[in-house]
Amino acid sequence: MTIAPKAPRKLSMKARYSALTRDLDWDPSYVPAEEMFPYTTFEGITIHDWSKWEDPFRLTVDAYAKYQAEKDKRLYAVLDGFAQSQGHLSLTDASYLNAMKLFLQGVSPLEYQAHRNFAYLARHLNGPGPRFASLCQSLDEIRHAQTEIHTLSNYNKYYSGFHSYLHMHDRVWYLSVPKSFFDDALSAGPFEFLIAIGFSFEYLLTNLLFVPFMSGASFNGDLPTMTFGFSAQSDESRHMTLGLEAIKFLLEQDEKNVPLVQHWINKWFWRGYRVTALVAQMLDYMLPRKVMSWKEAFELYFEQQMMNGLFQDLAYYGITPPLHVDKAIQEKEYLSHQAYWILYQFSHAAAFTTSIPTEEHMDWLTEQYPDTFPVYRTLWEKERKNLENGGRHFIRGLPQLCQVCQIPMGFTEADEPFVQCQRESIYEGERYNFCSDGCKYIFDHEPVKFRQAWLPVHQIYQGNCGAADLPGVLQWYKMQPGDGGEYLGNVDNENWKTWHDMAETTGGH
Amino acid sequence: MQFELRTQVIEPQRKTFQHLIDRYGDRPASRYEEGSIDIQATANYHYRPLWNPEMEIYSPDYSDLKLADAYSFTDPRQFYYAPYVTSRADMHEAFGSTLDYLEKRGMFDRLPASWSSVVQDIVLPLRHYEAAGQMIFSHAARFGWGTTITQCCAYAAFDRIGNAQILSRAGISFGGGTADSLDTAKTTWLEDADWQGLRKHTEELLVTRDWGRAIVALDVTDRLLYGLMYTHLDEAALLGGAGSYSLVAQHLSGWFTDQRRWMDALYKAWGADPEHGTANAAVVADVVESTLATASAALAPIAAKLDALVDCGAAQALSDAVEATRAAYTTLGMTKEA
Repeated sequence: MTIAPKAPRKLSMKARYSALTRDLDWDPSYVPAEEMFPYTTFEGITIHDWSKWEDPFRLTVDAYAKYQAEKDKRLYAVLDGFAQSQGHLSLTDASYLNAMKLFLQGVSPLEYQAHRNFAYLARHLNGPGPRFASLCQSLDEIRHAQTEIHTLSNYNKYYSGFHSYLHMHDRVWYLSVPKSFFDDALSAGPFEFLIAIGFSFEYLLTNLLFVPFMSGASFNGDLPTMTFGFSAQSDESRHMTLGLEAIKFLLEQDEKNVPLVQHWINKWFWRGYRVTALVAQMLDYMLPRKVMSWKEAFELYFEQQMMNGLFQDLAYYGITPPLHVDKAIQEKEYLSHQAYWILYQFSHAAAFTTSIPTEEHMDWLTEQYPDTFPVYRTLWEKERKNLENGGRHFIRGLPQLCQVCQIPMGFTEADEPFVQCQRESIYEGERYNFCSDGCKYIFDHEPVKFRQAWLPVHQIYQGNCGAADLPGVLQWYKMQPGDGGEYLGNVDNENWKTWHDMAETTGGH
Repeated sequence: MQFELRTQVIEPQRKTFQHLIDRYGDRPASRYEEGSIDIQATANYHYRPLWNPEMEIYSPDYSDLKLADAYSFTDPRQFYYAPYVTSRADMHEAFGSTLDYLEKRGMFDRLPASWSSVVQDIVLPLRHYEAAGQMIFSHAARFGWGTTITQCCAYAAFDRIGNAQILSRAGISFGGGTADSLDTAKTTWLEDADWQGLRKHTEELLVTRDWGRAIVALDVTDRLLYGLMYTHLDEAALLGGAGSYSLVAQHLSGWFTDQRRWMDALYKAWGADPEHGTANAAVVADVVESTLATASAALAPIAAKLDALVDCGAAQALSDAVEATRAAYTTLGMTKEA
C-alpha cells in the first residue's frame, strides 16, 4: 500500500477571490478614517458594514487581462479587415453615418468620463469589494472609449462630421445635452454617481441607449460597430450587475438611504431619458434601414424590462418607479418626431446632416405611430412645398434651451401637439426655463448646481463662443464645409455617388 | 508569383482626426495617439464638484506638478487598452507557469527554514503595500491632468492590484493551498513593530491629495523597496538555495522595469517643461528628500530582520539603494544638490 501524497487543501472560489481582493484591505490607524475616505459622508448615505457588498463578479487580474486581450484581438482584426477592403462602401447609404457621428461626438466622450470617475470610486469608496469592481469598470470604460474611436476612425477618413468630435463635445449646442448629463454625474458624490451611472445609465437605460445604435449598425452594413457592440456586451453585463448590486447594497444598509436613493432614481431616470431623445430621432429618422421604432424600443427595453421587471423587484425595498415616468410613456408617441424636427431645422449648425423623410419613410412612420404621426406628416408636407419652391427650412435665430437637459425648448404638452411645454422657476430673483416637469423637479432640488450650467446659447450671446454671428460660431466649433445642413447634395452624398459609380465601372469592391 | 488584386483606390479626405492633424500634421496617426491625445475635456465644465466646489471637474491644479502642454508626455510603451491588457495577459500567464512549476515540484516546501521565514515575514506582507499602490494610482487616474498621464496611472493601478494578487497567489501556494499564510502576513503588517514604519508611511501616501506628489513619493519608495526585495534579495536567494523565491521575484522586478519606462519619461517631461520645469524640479526634489528619509527609516527594521534571517547584506543594500535613488534624481536635476 502506498501512502497518497497529502492533497493540498483548496480554498473555495469565494474564499480565494476574497483573499485576492478584499482581504488586501486594512483599517488605517496612522491617519484618520475621514481623511482616508473624505468623500463618502457628505451625501448623507449611511453604510454600516461595507463587507456586506456582494461581489457582482469574481474576476481576478490575470483572468481579466487574458479574456479582454482575446476579445480585443478579434475586434481589431475585424476593424483592420474592414478598412483594408473599403468596407464603408457596403453601408446602406452614407447618410447612415449620421447615427455614428452622433455616437462619436456624443457618447464616446462619456465612456471616457466614466473611465475617470470609476477610478475615483476605485480609490475613494471605503469598501475594498466595490473598489475593485469599480477598478475593473474603469478599465472597461477606457476600452470602450478607445475601441469606439478606433472603430469610427476609418469613417472619419472618408466622411465629414467626425473630425473634431472632442472639440465639439465640449462646445456645440446639441452636444451639451450629453456633456452636461455626465458632468452632472462627475460633480456629484460617489453614491449619487453609483446610482446615476452605475444604476440608471448602465442598467435602467442601457438597452435604450446602446442597443439601438448597435442594431442600427447591423441593419446598415456597419460590421465594425456591430462587432464593437458584441465585444462590449460581456463588459456591459458586468456593469449591469455592478449597478444592481450598488442599489441593493445602499437600500439594504439603512432605511434612511431609501428616500435619497428614490430621489436619485427620479432625477437620473429623467436626466438619462432626456439624453435618449437623441437616440429616439436617430432610430426613427436617421437609419436608412429601420430596425424598430423608438416607441417599440421604449416599450420593450423600458416598459417591459424595467417597469414590469426591475421595479417589481425594487418595490420590496420601498422603491417606486421614477417620478414623471408617466410623461415619458406619453412622450413615446411623439418624442422622436419633435426631436428630429428640431434637429432638421438647426442642422446647418450641427456636425451631422438631415433630410426630409421620403414618402416610403413617412408611410413607415404612419404605420408605427398611427395616432400621432399624421400631424407631423402635414408639417413635412408643408416643408416639401418649401423645397419644391427652392427653399429649405433652417431656423436662423438661436433657441431657448432648457436649463437642465439643455435641449432646445421644442417639446409640447402631451395632448396638444402645437402648444410648447414651458415650465419655470424663480431662484434668487432670476427666472429659469425648463422643457418639462421632470427638468423643473431636478432644478428645484439643486438650484445652486443647475444655475451654473454652461448653456451654449447663453454663452454665444455672452460672447464666449468666438463670434456673435453664426459663421463665426461655426468656425469656433471647428465645423468644416459639408459637416451639417441638408444631406442631399452634400459632400458625403456626392462622394458616395461618385465612389459607387466608380465601383460599377471598374467592377471593384 | 504575384497576384494583382483589383481594389478601388479612394483617396481619403483626411488621414486622422483634426486635433491630431493640428498637432502632428496630416499623417496617419497611431492607435495610441487616436486613443490618448486630447481625450480629456479641458473646457466648459458645467458644474463644480459638490465634494470640492473650489475646483473644476478636471484641473491642472490638483497637483503642484504641471505641464504647460499635458501631451508633451507620451507613454514610451504606447499603451492603449488593447496592447496593455495583451501585455498583462502574458505577464500573468508567465507567473502562472512559474507557480505551476513551483507547486508541482513542491518547491516552497523545500525552502530552507530561514528563507521560509523570509517569504512569510518579509515578502507576503507586501501585498498590502501593493494594494495601497492601486489606490494611489487610481486617485491619480481620476485627478491627473491629461489622458496620456492618467492612462498610465490607470494601468499602473491595475498593475498594483495585479502585483498584490501575484504575491497572494504565491502566498496561498506557500500556505499549502490555504489562506493561512496570508492571514499571518496580514497580522504582521498590522501589528509587528518592525512593519509599522512602512505601514504608517503607506497610509500617509494614501492621504496625500496632490496626485503628482503622491506618485513621486510612491515611486521613491518603490525604488528602495523593489531594489531591496526583488533585486538584491533575488541574488541572495539564488546563493542561499532559495530558487523558488528567485522565480517569484523575477516577475516583480520585471514589472518594475516596465513601470520605470513611463515614470522616467514623466520625470523628463516635468523637468523639460518650458513653463513649469524649474518649479517641477523643485517639487520633485522636495518629495524625494522627505520620502528618502521616511522610506529608508521605515524599511531599515525590515532590512535588519532580513539580515538576521539570511545575513544577506540587506542593510547595506538599502543604503546603496538610497544613494542610487538620490543619484538618479540628481541626474534628472531633481534633487536639492542638483
